[in-house]
Amino acid sequence: MISKKEKILIPDHIYVPKHEIINKDEAVKVLEKYHTKPTEMPLIYVSDPAIRGLGVKPGDMIKITRKSPTAGESLYYRYVVEE
Amino acid sequence: MALETIKVIDGIKFSVWSPTEIRKYSVAEITAPETYDEDGMSVQGGLMDGRLGTLEPGQKCLTCGNTAARCPGHFGHIELAEPVLHIAFIDNIYKLLLTTCRSCARLKIPQEELEEYHQIMKKEAAYTVISIKHIPTEIIERAKKEKTCPHCGKSQYELIFTKPTIFIERTELGENRLLPITIRERFSHMIDEDLKLLGYDPTTARPEWFILQVLPVPPVTVRPSIILETGIRSEDDLTHKLVDIIRVNQRLKESKEAGTPPLIVQDLVDLLQYHVTTYFDNEVSGIPQAHHRSGRPLKTLTQRLKGKEGRFRGSLSGKRVDFSSRTVISPDPNLQISEVGVPEAVATKLTIPEVVTEWNIERLKKLVINGPSKFPGANYIVRPDGVKIRLDFVEDRETIANNIEIGYLVERHLSDGDIVMFNRQPSLHQMSIMGHYVRVLPGKTFRLHPSVCPPYNADFDGDEMNLHVPQSEEARAEAILLMRVQDQLISPRYGGPIIGALRDFITGAYLLTKDDTTLTPQEFANLAMLAGFSGTFPEPAVKAKGGSLYSGKQLFSLFLPKDFNYVITSKWSKGTKGPVKDVVIKNGQLVSGVIDKASIGAEEPDSVLHRITKDYGYEEAKNFLNSILIMLKQFITGYGFSYGYADLELATKTKDGILENIQESYDRVYDFIAQAKKGTLQLSRGLSAEEALEAYIVNELSKARDKAGNSADKSFDETNAGRIMATTGARGSSLNIGQMAGALGQQSIRGRRILKGYSNRALPHFKENDANPDGKGFVKSNYREGLSTLEFFFHAMGGREGLVDTAVRTQQSGYMQRRLINALEHLKLEYDGTVRDPHGHIIQFLYGEDGIDVAKSDHGEAFRIARLIESESIIDSGKKATKEEITDLVKKYVKTFNPRLSKTVLEALLESKLSKEGVDKVCKKALELYDNAKVEPGQAVGVVTAQSIGEPGTQMTLRTFHFAGIRERNVTLGLPRLIELVDARKKPVTPTMDIYLEENHKKSKEKAIKVAREILHTKISALISSTETDYSTKIKLNLNQDKLRERACTIEDVVDALQSSKKKFEIEPSGNSITLTLPEESDTQTVLAMRNKVLSTTVKGVTDVERVTIVQQGEEWVIQTSGSNIAKVWEIDGIDKKNIRTNNIFEIAGTLGIEAARNSLINELSSTLEDQGLEVDVRYIMLVSDLMCSRGYLQQIGRHGIAGTKTSVLARAAFEITVPTIAEAALAGEVEELKGVTENVIVGANIPIGTGTVDLYMRVVQDG
Repeated sequence: MISKKEKILIPDHIYVPKHEIINKDEAVKVLEKYHTKPTEMPLIYVSDPAIRGLGVKPGDMIKITRKSPTAGESLYYRYVVEE
Repeated sequence: MALETIKVIDGIKFSVWSPTEIRKYSVAEITAPETYDEDGMSVQGGLMDGRLGTLEPGQKCLTCGNTAARCPGHFGHIELAEPVLHIAFIDNIYKLLLTTCRSCARLKIPQEELEEYHQIMKKEAAYTVISIKHIPTEIIERAKKEKTCPHCGKSQYELIFTKPTIFIERTELGENRLLPITIRERFSHMIDEDLKLLGYDPTTARPEWFILQVLPVPPVTVRPSIILETGIRSEDDLTHKLVDIIRVNQRLKESKEAGTPPLIVQDLVDLLQYHVTTYFDNEVSGIPQAHHRSGRPLKTLTQRLKGKEGRFRGSLSGKRVDFSSRTVISPDPNLQISEVGVPEAVATKLTIPEVVTEWNIERLKKLVINGPSKFPGANYIVRPDGVKIRLDFVEDRETIANNIEIGYLVERHLSDGDIVMFNRQPSLHQMSIMGHYVRVLPGKTFRLHPSVCPPYNADFDGDEMNLHVPQSEEARAEAILLMRVQDQLISPRYGGPIIGALRDFITGAYLLTKDDTTLTPQEFANLAMLAGFSGTFPEPAVKAKGGSLYSGKQLFSLFLPKDFNYVITSKWSKGTKGPVKDVVIKNGQLVSGVIDKASIGAEEPDSVLHRITKDYGYEEAKNFLNSILIMLKQFITGYGFSYGYADLELATKTKDGILENIQESYDRVYDFIAQAKKGTLQLSRGLSAEEALEAYIVNELSKARDKAGNSADKSFDETNAGRIMATTGARGSSLNIGQMAGALGQQSIRGRRILKGYSNRALPHFKENDANPDGKGFVKSNYREGLSTLEFFFHAMGGREGLVDTAVRTQQSGYMQRRLINALEHLKLEYDGTVRDPHGHIIQFLYGEDGIDVAKSDHGEAFRIARLIESESIIDSGKKATKEEITDLVKKYVKTFNPRLSKTVLEALLESKLSKEGVDKVCKKALELYDNAKVEPGQAVGVVTAQSIGEPGTQMTLRTFHFAGIRERNVTLGLPRLIELVDARKKPVTPTMDIYLEENHKKSKEKAIKVAREILHTKISALISSTETDYSTKIKLNLNQDKLRERACTIEDVVDALQSSKKKFEIEPSGNSITLTLPEESDTQTVLAMRNKVLSTTVKGVTDVERVTIVQQGEEWVIQTSGSNIAKVWEIDGIDKKNIRTNNIFEIAGTLGIEAARNSLINELSSTLEDQGLEVDVRYIMLVSDLMCSRGYLQQIGRHGIAGTKTSVLARAAFEITVPTIAEAALAGEVEELKGVTENVIVGANIPIGTGTVDLYMRVVQDG
């Protein structure tokens, strides 16, 4: 019951920006663009409520589309890690 | 000069010294407790052994043969008769004892599982970065519970650790002390694999090395003895301690050899342990401190490193410097803003090295002839061969001056035009240290322009400031390019000017530019010349009888850029309810309105000054400021402006009126009290009767004060000096005038009237429960007339609170600032626009999400499109461009812009009446400005962020509680809230929620109340009127119908709640009461405990929600709560699930995820700062929030968060918890890579930030 509720509820809160998993190719592109390693990316736990319904596993990359007071919209990436 | 190679430290590895290494590095075994013999010679094998290094300059070291200057000192050692525990590793020893088997020394975890852990550690998959760190703690937690060893099957005994150094094992035979020697033996059997799992590096730190068999003796250079004036030698604290150790060690050795009873030997071992422990750390809890003969506690190794004055913070992170000076400051409005007046006495001591060239040789010769005491002169000459000649000792300077050749170096006196760094503590932001040009002046104080006081936060009541003279060309170049006052006009905190006119300059500006000010041509010319005007004068605008006169506005306009256009509302106009947008500047001419704080004031964004700075550049702005400031100063000096006792005089009629008004208010207060007694006072929601009465009274009294102030203020005309100063923003406010001439008003402590002190009265001079507001601190008098004795006392009480408040606040905000700086100092902007720490961890992918530098922005925006269009439309003449043309053009230019910016540009241009060419020009200009406003790579964005949030902390109120909205909800505000947020506390002091309602609930108050009742946590205790019990079997709950109705509960609800609580009792509802019968007879205590449990049973609602209030916001009703529990509120029907807000960030991280936590952190931080009227750009708040959330969980700004998880050992050690940090680093074999800021400051290298990120290379062209 709980998991069902959260799947619907959580990504729908005004504070929660859009989270999506990006596929491996795109993830590699992001890493290349910033000349960086996964461990140097900002992190997110697999257990994070905002991505729980997405079927993520450690090692995935999450693209977050934030609303920004300065830029209107901005992208942020987080690397999924075990807790 | 010999070519010296510069050695750069690559890294520092930390490790634990093994006994073998200690012996290897030792040059002498120390056995004698004596230091010097009768002749004053150091004893062989004593603590001052010549082989340990040398102190006296003439002496040569017996080990390396160097003299004191070059000998680094050498270690010795003491062979301990009995091993002792190392206090810095005591916790690790304890953990190892707990987790390993007492017989086979393996980790008490099955081999298979250990293998699994090894696998995880080996895998090194990127996604285990966090989980891998938990392995050691996980293993420790598991292994310590194990009662039998899974490897050898031996049963384990309970271990008792008596702090600080005693371990006892509880065996079947009784308690058995674990001696260091046993522990050592056990540890030496531990295998490397097990140690690795616990985070040890077995090659650098074997656990048996935590038990000392041999003690290193530091070189004498570390503990020099000093010779007092009396000729008596005084030894260092460490030497004293080492003497103690050697003595006890000797005795122990002798006792052991003599076969003394073991009990006595054990006592000696314990004593040795005590001395060795206090040698390492003299502040260990549980054992007495070691004292010096004089009674002062000894300062041993840990004390040397630790704390503010310790080695790390006191001698390595911060050092005393040469070429600096400090003295009292005083104002001088005749200086330029970028100048500093330096007394001659200082200028002759501070020097600048100047290499002799063919162009300056003549000048330098003269300086050398002048010598050290005559300004301008020189103090030293350095010959090319490196010999330094001190001119004090030169008899004939004439000759030496003539001998100077090209290539010599002359250390000449500081003189006019040199750049220096000027600083005032506390250095809270970058503007606390600025580059000034020297003006050598007579006198003994540093002089600075009053207008640069705001950035330094300086005044002249005895403040002192520091001056530093950069010595190298590079340093001077950096100071000139980055630090000069004119380059700091705009504060990076909010992108507005921080320097500007203030006080009398503003008054002067008003007096000059008000409509009726005229100047004779002579006056006009004099002032214009003084301000450095060159050019032709305009025609006089005012025709008068005696000839034409200039208007003041004309004079002011002389200094405005010729094509400058601006419209603004003056402060004066606002204050006198005059027209808006009264100040009109057209083509550099002040057409109408007065110039006051709104136009040229300091800390006023969007002022005339700000516009000039942004549109014409810093140099122009500096010249403008310098010109008008000196002119205004001269004008007001001639005009004459004063404020005195007479300016505050009121007519008797007004005075009586004020008193009458106050009396009327008093009467109304008495009326309120009478009403309250009768119970007819209308209560406002959420307040008790007393609270409501107090609120009414406070409100009435504050009205009384305002009225008094207003009528006083009104009775002064517009020419009254006080009025002028208050309305122009020069100084003071109408409140101040009201307090001086009207009435002082209510004095308060902690936001309340002064109610207590004696029983039912504030002071013994009043009757108990006196209703008269006089007795509660209302002051009817004003400053001009003077206060009565009692009023004065109340006023002093309020004043005291203010003082205490400031003292506490500076401390708290100072510490917050230190933590912020420490957490953020290493962040810098990389070339790809990302913000990263020195180890490459990305904090932001684009700084501030738009890559704009606030300091270069226009009040937070890259450019003002409206401004650009406005100035373009004046010269633009073509026909209006079509929509398509504009869209196409804009598209071409905005490619690099972010979505928001391109949208605003397009919208603004579509609305404008510009031609195609005009649009093109505007776009081009916008693109140029945009590119200019971008942050530069290498920028220390972290430090600027920390400063921008930390600095306003000092200006915040400390008042913890405040009523948000309508006095029904207490929330933490101001500095405590800010600290709470950066602390990432698990639970804020006042958790609250704002719950928005679903579409069909939010319009109706009734439905909102219904939902609110579902949310409010209702316990049984809130529903009953009383309980009865027979103290053995029965508990009777008498329910209160009113309370039930209020909370919308029924008796059935209560019964249900009781039934579901699974308590073993029978429930019998009868009428308004419920009787609970316990199955068996119990004693009184059990019954009472049971009753309390029953009372706290939840009937309905959400736990933690203690209060709910419904508030109307526009059309809809919103529920506000005290107490927060998002997860539970979700399950309630009728709420808008998308829009529940809480101020508990930690809770959000748990229920909505890290991104949501970041967003709410940004919201909470901005609203806290905004609420205090402090402007801080969002980019800074975003950076702090992103940093705190960058690791997937909320990290605190402080030792348990970011500062504690830094990769650099030195940076962590320099922040807090110095010694344990180093010990931890040693056993993990950590390597200091010296990539951050603090680390490099500590080792004395260049910091890799800002100008330190780049190196300058020069291609040397070969001769020929």
